[in-house]
Amino acid sequence: MKKIIIGAVLLGSSMSASAVAPGGPGCGWGNLLFEGSSGLPAHLLATIVNGTSGNATFGMTSGTNGCDVSGTLTYSGDSLLAMNGVLEEVAQDMAVGHGEALTALTVAMQIEPADRDHFNSLMHENFTQIFPRDDISSGEVMDNITTVMKRDDRLSHYVS
Amino acid sequence: MRRAVRVALGLCALVCAAVAQAAPAPDFAALAATPRWQALMHVNPGATLRGVGTSYVDDDDFFLAADGKADPAAELWATWQALAPAGSPARCRFPARYRFLAEKLGWQEPEPLAHCEDYHAWRAQMPIGRLVLVFPAAYLNSPSSMFGHTLLRLDASAEPDAVWLSRAINFGAQAGGADNSLFYIWQGLAGGYPGQFSVTSYVEKIRDYAFVENRDMWEYTLNLDADEIDWVVRHLWELRGINFDYYFFDENCSFRLLELIKVGRPTAPLMTELRFAELPVNTVRALYGADLVAQRRYRPSKARELEALAARLDSDERALAAALREDTSLAAAPRFKAYPPPRRHLIAQVAYQALRLRNREGARDPDVARKSLALLRVVQRNPAPPDAPAAPSAPPESGHGTQMANIGVGRQDGRDFLSFGYRLTYHDLFDPMTGFLPGAAIEGLDVQLRIDEADGLALERLDLVNIRSLAPRSDFVKPISWFVHAGLEQAPVAHERRALGGFVQGGPGASWRVGDLFPYVFAVARLESVSGEEPGAALGAGAEAGVAFQAESVQWGLHARWLEYTAHFSRLRTGITANLPLSSENALRGECSHETWQRDAVTGCSVSFRHFFD
Repeated sequence: MKKIIIGAVLLGSSMSASAVAPGGPGCGWGNLLFEGSSGLPAHLLATIVNGTSGNATFGMTSGTNGCDVSGTLTYSGDSLLAMNGVLEEVAQDMAVGHGEALTALTVAMQIEPADRDHFNSLMHENFTQIFPRDDISSGEVMDNITTVMKRDDRLSHYVS
Repeated sequence: MRRAVRVALGLCALVCAAVAQAAPAPDFAALAATPRWQALMHVNPGATLRGVGTSYVDDDDFFLAADGKADPAAELWATWQALAPAGSPARCRFPARYRFLAEKLGWQEPEPLAHCEDYHAWRAQMPIGRLVLVFPAAYLNSPSSMFGHTLLRLDASAEPDAVWLSRAINFGAQAGGADNSLFYIWQGLAGGYPGQFSVTSYVEKIRDYAFVENRDMWEYTLNLDADEIDWVVRHLWELRGINFDYYFFDENCSFRLLELIKVGRPTAPLMTELRFAELPVNTVRALYGADLVAQRRYRPSKARELEALAARLDSDERALAAALREDTSLAAAPRFKAYPPPRRHLIAQVAYQALRLRNREGARDPDVARKSLALLRVVQRNPAPPDAPAAPSAPPESGHGTQMANIGVGRQDGRDFLSFGYRLTYHDLFDPMTGFLPGAAIEGLDVQLRIDEADGLALERLDLVNIRSLAPRSDFVKPISWFVHAGLEQAPVAHERRALGGFVQGGPGASWRVGDLFPYVFAVARLESVSGEEPGAALGAGAEAGVAFQAESVQWGLHARWLEYTAHFSRLRTGITANLPLSSENALRGECSHETWQRDAVTGCSVSFRHFFD
């Protein structure tokens, strides 16, 4: 028991338990690219008792305002991108051309499996247009994705 | 009990008329003894010491009978009474219990839960494909995370498109707000806080574990079929907001998940033996032992991904990636342009991932954000064919057992001795490496006894805690290694004489990695109190240097530790250790040490046989 406490204290001191909470109530625009993940609110607690702070969510929250998506179970493209830490994963996958974050985005956007490779290539080719600035918000990124898809014969019907 | 049932049947004759006609006087005692009802009630079958035969649930809301916690048959009778009437609100609260009664008593209603809107809305979000146990393994520079978590994941199909969007089923202690004081942790250990199940999106767990904490995740697909998973999901709804006392050592997250899986397959031999100090790795072993695992998948952490990518670069390319991370304009330099696009892609990707690894957590930094996007643009401009994912290391369940017993012989300053010992948990730097994180060691409660001709039986050493983290520094990461060690040991006090003393020592350090070799240095502070010696408490400071070699076939190490005490004496200890794994659960170890104290020295060597078990 003691070992755990000592370990936890050292562990805790080596980590910054950041209190930054992007995507708070009424934030409107979602997260910025490279916002940084605030991570678990209490690393110590999480390590010891697998804990979460706040109430036990059961997937019963009523959805999102496009910002705070914690506790939700089903995601749209918007709400997935707005989730803390996801935007930069999507950016990396688009730059590389494929990846799990990009796949999750296509599923959340309800893009058919047959169209996903095409979507990935299109996003990769238009990376600069989708991520024109390093402080772009998730809402703007979604708008840019939509714009690019609208111009594409095969994908335009998803966003029309 | 029977008489009570008969009397109650008479009393509720009006309410239960329909049921009583269909199935007169069910044998509640027999039904309550069935494995499924026992599982639905979370009855302790003797797997832990507290309250054998009663329910683990510590919440009145879970029980319909006044003595439901202690009497599963009474609870079954009360459930029968409450769930029998069509349209009963209790059915919406207990859909798994309803299924149990309906199947056992032959109730046949076309839409028995039609009135349960909340439940149906929730079930619509819980499509059943397959159930997966997820084990986020130990993380870099935090050996204590070996005690880690387990959670369940519910996938929407047997071959899901995107597990990011799957459901995570988690059991954890519930904190009130952002309280993370030591007091809170103590409460968590001692069972003072309630634990509850929660359901979230798996993407949040991937982010927390693989991205933020840099833990590799192991995912074990269970072979439960849709019908068995239906039991689990129905019962999960019954556990919404229900409290269990959380005990770190036995009734923890891993233990609770076993109970949940048992609801799906009550006959699975998961809790047949006493489970103390339930470690996640033993949960995984229990699932394998019960033939529940169909498939294993590895999800590398961000740190591991970077390591795997960087391993594909040569040293010039690595240096270039490190430079590019600091100055992204290098992407326009001839030095970078000289490489073909696929290499540029890889170099820029390594630079990017290294930058993010260092800056993913915490507040947004405009300069880092600018560099990050610049590097992604280099990655995008220089396409490369898809690369293979990071190769998994040996899975955690393939590692040695968590407990260890040893016996050995040795000689110290001309006197032969016999030694034997026991360690509760878990792994030191020289134990067999398979399935463990390199450079990480954590030991708790390690007792070593010695018998020699002159002194008889004596305590040689008692380690309460000994944690050591050798976190290698590389081109891209510069972590601080650390160690902490507290216990009792025989300390040299005079010529060929030793005495038992208590100590606490620890300090920060640095380590590197060259193949399987970990050179390291530590600053050391030590507080000790040796029986019969003055001063009562002595404070020392010094340094330790050494190397540890950690291959799978053999492990060895050398170390030297020098300490200068405020009470004007010093200690210098040097040692060598070699360990030879004989099988997955057995190893042979040889050790020699030489410790000088003032002008005196104690020298000894031993060889021992070490056996691991659970």
